[in-house]
Amino acid sequence: MGKYFLGRLLWMAPVLIGISLITFLVMHLVPGGPWSREKQLAPAVIENLNRRYGLDDPLWKQYVVFLGRTLRGDLGVSYIYQDRSVTAIILQGVPKTAAIGLLAFTVALGVGVPLGMVAAIRHNTWMDYLSVQFATVFAAIPGFILAFLLIYVFAVQLHWLPTGGWGKPQQLVLPAAALAALPTAYIARVARAAMLEVLGQDYIRTAHAKGLAPAVVYYRHALKNALIPVLTITGPELAALVTGSFIIEQVFSIPGVGRLFVQGVFQRDYGLIMGSVLFYAGVIALLNLLVDLLYSLVDPRIRFG
Amino acid sequence: MRNPHVLPRMTWTVIWWAAALLMTASLAACAGAEPTPTAAPTATRAPAVTPVPTATPTPSLAAKQELRANLLSEPATLDPNRTAFATEVTVVKSLFNGLLGFNQDLSVKALAAEAVPTVGNGGISADGLTYTFKLRKEGTWSDGQPVKAKDYVYSIKRMLDPDLAADYASFYYSIVGAEAYNGSAKSDAAAKAALKDKVGVRAVDDYTLEVKLSAPEPTFLPKMALWPVYPLRQDVIEKYADKWIEAGNLIGNGPFILKEWVHQDHITLEANAKYWGKKPTLQTIVLRLLPDENAALLAYRNGEMDLVSVPAGNEKAILSDPVLSKETLRFNELTVFAFQYNVTRAPFDNKLVRQAIATALDRVAFVDKVRNGVGKPATAWIPPGMPGYDASIGAQYAFDAAKAKGLLAQAGFPEAKGLPAITFSYSDSTGNRTIAQFLQGQMKENLGIDIVLDPQESKAFRQFLTQNKHQWALLGWGADYPDPENFLPGLFGTGAGNNHMLYSNPEFDAIAKRATTELDETQRLKLWDQAHKIVVNDAPMAPIYYRERLWLKKPNVLNFKTTGMDGAVPGDFFYTDVTIGR
Repeated sequence: MGKYFLGRLLWMAPVLIGISLITFLVMHLVPGGPWSREKQLAPAVIENLNRRYGLDDPLWKQYVVFLGRTLRGDLGVSYIYQDRSVTAIILQGVPKTAAIGLLAFTVALGVGVPLGMVAAIRHNTWMDYLSVQFATVFAAIPGFILAFLLIYVFAVQLHWLPTGGWGKPQQLVLPAAALAALPTAYIARVARAAMLEVLGQDYIRTAHAKGLAPAVVYYRHALKNALIPVLTITGPELAALVTGSFIIEQVFSIPGVGRLFVQGVFQRDYGLIMGSVLFYAGVIALLNLLVDLLYSLVDPRIRFG
Repeated sequence: MRNPHVLPRMTWTVIWWAAALLMTASLAACAGAEPTPTAAPTATRAPAVTPVPTATPTPSLAAKQELRANLLSEPATLDPNRTAFATEVTVVKSLFNGLLGFNQDLSVKALAAEAVPTVGNGGISADGLTYTFKLRKEGTWSDGQPVKAKDYVYSIKRMLDPDLAADYASFYYSIVGAEAYNGSAKSDAAAKAALKDKVGVRAVDDYTLEVKLSAPEPTFLPKMALWPVYPLRQDVIEKYADKWIEAGNLIGNGPFILKEWVHQDHITLEANAKYWGKKPTLQTIVLRLLPDENAALLAYRNGEMDLVSVPAGNEKAILSDPVLSKETLRFNELTVFAFQYNVTRAPFDNKLVRQAIATALDRVAFVDKVRNGVGKPATAWIPPGMPGYDASIGAQYAFDAAKAKGLLAQAGFPEAKGLPAITFSYSDSTGNRTIAQFLQGQMKENLGIDIVLDPQESKAFRQFLTQNKHQWALLGWGADYPDPENFLPGLFGTGAGNNHMLYSNPEFDAIAKRATTELDETQRLKLWDQAHKIVVNDAPMAPIYYRERLWLKKPNVLNFKTTGMDGAVPGDFFYTDVTIGR
């Protein structure tokens, strides 16, 4: 199994190179460049800028330079945030995005799984209906609407929490809540469906027939198997949450990586675009690998080899 | 200065709608919650007092002298040499003092210099080629060292260094050797060093700076009042390299120092205890970096901020709000919007068509209905507040649908018959979209012309314009310095960099050429006036309105002064005067 995961790790290199090459080409194909300004710059100034950032070299050479630098662990400099290192800029955003993402993820799992389980165990009771209603409502409300509603109620009207920003623990609450709503609803639905399916299986009936306490049946026997589908969606959800939500970061003015990437694209900040795409791709690949690893821990039937 | 639109089209759309929704709800709630203002007691014999904030007697000051404003976005840099956007200009202006600055009427004043150089005081040579600036001897850097002429020499030469690639370098090409040095990107280090030595800037002594020009330039003084030529400390820049702009490293000579720069979050400026001039009453200025104007507005309402912009589309809600309407800060900006034609493409190669369209725009309705009264209708190009503004120019384009139809018929398109398809392109944003839709409606209603709207992503639109692929497009222009020279030759001169109208009139070119070097101020403004009238008459673009900025300011922020050239945050020329009342 160790060999399998080592292989997967090694495969990440060509995948990341492929992604960076595609991004690089698309980035240069998109009309407008970093120096397309509302007021046209003087030709000599554009020449100076191109030279400073190596944009006067042929494209293949620019890519080779990028690749060589990246291999040495240097993602280059940002064009919008003049000459600040892309690595430093991204690293500044990562803890913020990750903190909110992990908090939202914990909430989503901590609320979503029990909600789904309870709904399945108390199938067709008021608890089930309430849980399904909850899941439907929060799956339907877009995050930014929820974000504005939360700000309006808890910040503007009640003055309990700040409208946004970064630095104080209470500033985490609203964005994490807004971010967690959708995955919570999603996880609750998946958990409910999976639990219902498991509860209908023969071995559960056997367990009940043996006279085991219902709690033991549910937690020891049913839960573990019902968690596999949840785990499957957990990987992508976690990746989505920790790499950030542009809208949530924008609305709550959180200087995370989601916002950086989108700003990079709109400003044609070639340095920031390449750096954040590589970062995203790396994180997602690693998290997928992690989830595969967790599969084999949860379900002994799954073996990699 | 440029205001980049960093948000994607979709984001703005959704945010706008969400905000509109919330605002409507919240304003309704406010209207219900607010006590009805009672009428002033009429029984007293005191004269009726109008609630003009500046007219109130000086109230006692708040214990905490802090101004909290939204800067909207993270500054690209705080390096004056490389600064190019309004965002950075606002901060840099507080951290540094140039030799010259601006008064509230935008006339040039001496700041770090003892006096504005004139021919009379010996500051300008008779041929207009040599400028001598005498520095104030009390000028100090925030670490206590004296500001010397060498700091200006270093800054100006650094700004012109091709390897630094400063955006505004081309503004200073009139300095001897500047263009050659800035254009020497491909030369080797030795050649660059030689060219650098030839740049006509030198320190005559510690407190005297001499600048030589290759040709007389009447607008050189206002250019010397701009940020790219603020003094810089060579030792600091060499010590910290790219990190010299960070808090703790940056040394300035302005009224405030950079206390804290938490990237992507906020910047804190603190009063500079060693400032040579009138020390600010404000102890701190906190500039939040909230890119979402709607979020900033909520923070303002929540009492977290003192100064925020009103997001496009919210003007009406704010202006009709019983509380917020009293907290508005409005001022005219030296910015004009127009519809620029590609005059090489049909039907806009026909001057009569262009004039017909200019006459078919109900600009008063635009400002009243679309902009909710924020802004000023424009029939000419040069904005009010700039020398050369003349309300009578362009009077022939006062809205008159019948006359417009007549002009169109005269052009050979009676009832708009025979016109080719017309497409209007613009960089998509909430504000621009409303302008484009207004134009589409006016063309249909007043001339019977159907036009197709072509919204584009901001950077793509810039390239589209640069490649002259447009037929008709939106044009916005704001002042770098308050002079007609900044508004005419660069846009309407034959082959000029920003002339995307592809307009060419030899008469205009000849007058502009004379005006650019004319040292007699009266004569010079007269020439620009002629040039302005030629452009307006030729109508390579149809002006629509002069922008007015609408912000919200808490009533206890006092002695607040704005100009038509304020940066990203209003009032940034005069923060030293601001006080916070109780």
